[in-house]
Amino acid sequence: MRTLKLDDDSSKLANEVISDLKASPSLELFKCIQCGMCASLCPGARYSNYNPREMVKRVLDGDESVILDDDIWNCFYCYTCHSVCPANNSASVVNQILRQKAIDEGKGIEKISAFLTYGDSFLEIGIGSIPAAFFDILVTDFGPKWLDLKMNLDSVRKELGLGPVTLPEDSIEEINKILNITGFTRKMEKIRGSE
Amino acid sequence: MKKIPDKDMLLFKSCLVSVEYPGVESSTAFLFDKLGIGYHRDQRQSCCTGLGHYYDLFDQLSTTTLAARNFWVARDSGNQNIAVMCATCYAILKKSAKILNEDDEAREKINGLLEEGGMGEMTYKKGDIDPHKNIFHTAEILHSKRDLFEEYSQLDFSQFKIATHHACHYCKVHYEDTIGGVRHPMLLDELAASGGVDTTGWYDQKRLTCGAGFSQRFTNKELSLSVTGEKLMSLRDNQTDILLHMCPNCQMQFDRYQPVIEERLGVKFNMFHLNISQFLALNMGADPYKVVGVQTHTVPLNPLLKKLGVEPVQSSIELKVRADH
Repeated sequence: MRTLKLDDDSSKLANEVISDLKASPSLELFKCIQCGMCASLCPGARYSNYNPREMVKRVLDGDESVILDDDIWNCFYCYTCHSVCPANNSASVVNQILRQKAIDEGKGIEKISAFLTYGDSFLEIGIGSIPAAFFDILVTDFGPKWLDLKMNLDSVRKELGLGPVTLPEDSIEEINKILNITGFTRKMEKIRGSE
Repeated sequence: MKKIPDKDMLLFKSCLVSVEYPGVESSTAFLFDKLGIGYHRDQRQSCCTGLGHYYDLFDQLSTTTLAARNFWVARDSGNQNIAVMCATCYAILKKSAKILNEDDEAREKINGLLEEGGMGEMTYKKGDIDPHKNIFHTAEILHSKRDLFEEYSQLDFSQFKIATHHACHYCKVHYEDTIGGVRHPMLLDELAASGGVDTTGWYDQKRLTCGAGFSQRFTNKELSLSVTGEKLMSLRDNQTDILLHMCPNCQMQFDRYQPVIEERLGVKFNMFHLNISQFLALNMGADPYKVVGVQTHTVPLNPLLKKLGVEPVQSSIELKVRADH
């Protein structure tokens, strides 16, 4: 009788994915039957080389090179795959975990360094903001009226009966403490240091 | 049908509503006041982290710990329910509540971190918030009161073709909780119908994402706008005049980029964009500038107001450049 020998390490990557905090206990990665429903409705797959079905197969095959594959950065996180999967797998969640791994390995840093100012804003006022690196492009695309809205936001909000957007000092201190102890602030510094 | 609360509600502030379409918040407050829904807004509440989370910048531990703090803000203010105006807040808060309830190790770790930071009062007890019974989108809360809309409705929308865009992070992330369908969502269509307004119902790309894709809008703009363009073309095929939204990020993608995509594709969409709260408030007589917040939109809403015969109270703030693309 022929027996199929499984490499002990072949499920290492898949096990790491399902034990990640982002993966819910109901994530059925190992039940993927490669039906392709995910790829058939994926907007990333329609307009780029990203293929969620293939990405999941590589994870199940233990192919670690998938972490460094540029195509995984074309997922929209729209969760369409997640909502139609007949096996209760979620390519979208698997993708998010792979990107975190890429960042942890230092390879994904270039992909997120432009978003650091969102984190800065969160630490300063308790609310994220449009990443500064893209602000000028948005002004060009959205026109001067949008820039004017940014400059006059407080008065526009006041006219609508709304107060300022920032949080009280005490709350900002709490948020800073939390993001310090969860390691977020350190991660921001690390990303900034390797830019 | 599950019971949807109508009191003891923290109206959860959204970063994109606050800075892009603040009229969504004032319209929601207007509707809640009119319908007798008890709510509270709290200055201490932080942003949910959602955009940063899906930019891959925020990790799940940080997002969930900040959610534990916001859940404490809700409890501490005497509000056990949370109403969100943004689909991303909806998905992020529900996921965090599930982790805090179901993952004992994560909950203990997060509580340990809060204790270590001297914020022991914020520690989370299993079941403090039920993601299925305490966290709702404001559109769901309005849906539960839809029988009251008819008597308040004032405008005649019959000359317009109206379609809906149901946000992905409302429909597709926690799909077991979605009201009004996942593959053919009808929540917003039913809300409009309750005010006597007909909608298109199904159209070819109804379930397609808006194309924002969080980081895609910024780092992969061509890819992002291809998807947005595809959806806009599908809406154009149905001669859509008004698109109703339930997420400020989707609204931004369509309203702010519509002129850009018109130029790229060489077509005109002539489509107005309104959040469902803005639409319902307008239909119930709310002032366009003082409540609905039309002044922050990119696609000008004045032609729509004119056709509807709405006479707004003139805005005291003239945004310096009213440049229409």
